Amino acid sequence: MKRASLRLLAAATVPLLGVAACSTSGSSSTSSSSSSSSSKSLTLAVVPKAIGFDYWTHVEAGAKCAASKLGGVTIDWNGVSAETDVTGQVSLLNGYIDRGVNGLIYAATDIKALLPVTARAQAARIPVYNIDSGTTPQQVPLFATDNLKGAHDVASLMNTYLHGHGNVAIVEFQPGTMTDNQRKQGFVQGLAAYPGLHLVADQADGSDASRALSVTNDILTAHPNLNGIFGSNEPSVIGAAQAVKQRHLSGKIVMVGWDAAPDEIAALRSGEISALIVQNPFRMGFDSVIAMTEHIRKGVSVSNEDTGVYVVTRQNMNQPAYSAILSPSCANPPLPSSDPWLKYVGMS
Amino acid sequence: MNDPPGPTKTSVTDAATEDVRPALASRPWLLIWRRRLGEVVSQATALGALIVIGAVLTVLSPHFLTYVNLSELVVDAAVTAIVAVGETLVILTAGIDLSVGSVAALAGVVGAQFMVDLKLPWPVAVLGGVLLGALAGFVNGGLVSWVKLPPFIATLGMMGVARGVTFLVTGAVAVYGVPAGFAVLGLGYAGPIPVPAICLIVVIVIFGVVFMWTKLGRHARAIGSNQEASRLTGVPVGSSLVLVYVLAGVLAGFAGMIAASRVESGQPNFGIGLELDAIAAAVIGGASLFGGQGTVAGAIIGTFLIEEIRDGSVLLNINTYAQDVIIGVVVWVAVAWDYWRRRHITGRARAPVVAEIPQTSSAVTPPVHGGPGPRT
Repeated sequence: MKRASLRLLAAATVPLLGVAACSTSGSSSTSSSSSSSSSKSLTLAVVPKAIGFDYWTHVEAGAKCAASKLGGVTIDWNGVSAETDVTGQVSLLNGYIDRGVNGLIYAATDIKALLPVTARAQAARIPVYNIDSGTTPQQVPLFATDNLKGAHDVASLMNTYLHGHGNVAIVEFQPGTMTDNQRKQGFVQGLAAYPGLHLVADQADGSDASRALSVTNDILTAHPNLNGIFGSNEPSVIGAAQAVKQRHLSGKIVMVGWDAAPDEIAALRSGEISALIVQNPFRMGFDSVIAMTEHIRKGVSVSNEDTGVYVVTRQNMNQPAYSAILSPSCANPPLPSSDPWLKYVGMS
Repeated sequence: MNDPPGPTKTSVTDAATEDVRPALASRPWLLIWRRRLGEVVSQATALGALIVIGAVLTVLSPHFLTYVNLSELVVDAAVTAIVAVGETLVILTAGIDLSVGSVAALAGVVGAQFMVDLKLPWPVAVLGGVLLGALAGFVNGGLVSWVKLPPFIATLGMMGVARGVTFLVTGAVAVYGVPAGFAVLGLGYAGPIPVPAICLIVVIVIFGVVFMWTKLGRHARAIGSNQEASRLTGVPVGSSLVLVYVLAGVLAGFAGMIAASRVESGQPNFGIGLELDAIAAAVIGGASLFGGQGTVAGAIIGTFLIEEIRDGSVLLNINTYAQDVIIGVVVWVAVAWDYWRRRHITGRARAPVVAEIPQTSSAVTPPVHGGPGPRT
């Protein structure tokens, strides 16, 4: 069984060897495709940064949705339990390479530490794509949110809500990861355009809602005149919103969050959170799986893709386009008609 | 240590034996007193550090010495402190429990599921979470006591098992939608006192009694001082160890429920690294990783020292990772101090319990056979 699939893998990926080995520009293409392999069943490993967040389950749903529409594609979904567990992810991915999956799609827990894993997969002729978080340098196609752009939006939302002046804080999750760095960087750059807004506190919570709660409490203690908080991922928002609520400051402090877990949406509805920057994890899983399958089967060229963000507020949250992004499902997928991969599964 | 152990020297060199069998000689009281003094000195040092750091923070930040901040500090510390008390009890027996963080997360998410999916009233769900902690502790204790696994390995396994089960039962997604009443446990106030602080006080009182005035406390201390000698003098080592791990699990489960209440959801990623905070707190508060020493007061002081540093760091907007560096250094200092005081106050540096067994058993056995050991 295992041996047979290894042979299949070799047959499917040999023509791509040259491509994988020399693609350095974040895109890859292949000159000749093996049409004989177009209907072969594939096993793709999809590895999030960590399991344990609502966000990653949408990636899983998107990947599995794409697999069901493609046919003959099996998704092997697995992840480590903490986004900080870089070595755990390295060994998990190495395990997939050793077992010989047909393709590897993963979200990098560290911008540098995962580079050797990508190189090793490519040496083993296994195509690699990154989702959500890539590596530096980015040597393989990346399906991700433009975090810088999204965080710029946060700064401009703060400016709008605070009418141009106030003190703001950021509760970040994991300094050292690409997404965290970009969100902070985008926010700080965005704030630079508004001289009336001052970043007075910057603390990290290690993606633990309890830590986010106590850190935010301490920030509120240190800065009684705080006007806005940016929570840069799900547990950061959950903890920060809890602290704000506990101090009866809901509505007085502008909370802008990232992602859209059920409690975040509930808090948006109740007014504790002013706006949520919602990414499209479903699309990351969906598009990357289609792209990799088409790349392996037909040699389609794949390059970096911005999967987009939505600014969801209390006012727009019930509109159809926004409800699809808030509760994505294969029946109601949040995919814009501009998505270039829809045509491969007859959805455009 | 330096001379070959002879029957005449035993009572002086082997403090552990005398801890267990105080009636054998008159000098052991001196040794026990010196050990207690060692504990007290450690606690006093940690308490001193707590006060000095507090004073420094008061100068550096006008917000430190305020009711709001201090009550927050107490609430933040409560979860870790409750876990640290259980950890200290385990460390007292010369064991270690690496699973408390994972067990707390497991209790938190399953307790939340009891409320959300089974619609159980929240106090029942909290009890369920606590019992789950007890079950995890029972497995730990059974592995240590009956399967004879080293505590490090038994609880390392449980750390993985509990975290894994947490992800399995939740599908790796946080459990939202707990009833509003549940928030009382973590966010409520009784007058000016936060409910988690009351929970902590209850734990302190109960476990203060357990440590000082119950058979279990004395047995735990005896086992940690010298397991083999304890066994020979009639201490029910097996069942005592199981009970100790069960209690550590109960406290971890309870802490997990308070943490879940604080964020009104069961978070599967809660408590990663909590075991290390708990161990650090115990050690800073004078518990010895070699066993036989450790107090509730020490665990509390140690936890507050750690939380005070974290709290102050945020108030001063110190980089997150620098906070971990500071706490790491504090642990080094505490352990180095532990060694130093053993040499200079307790009277001798103790080797790990395992290393003592051959010396002890050969030296101690005859008196045990000679007459009935005193009841402990």
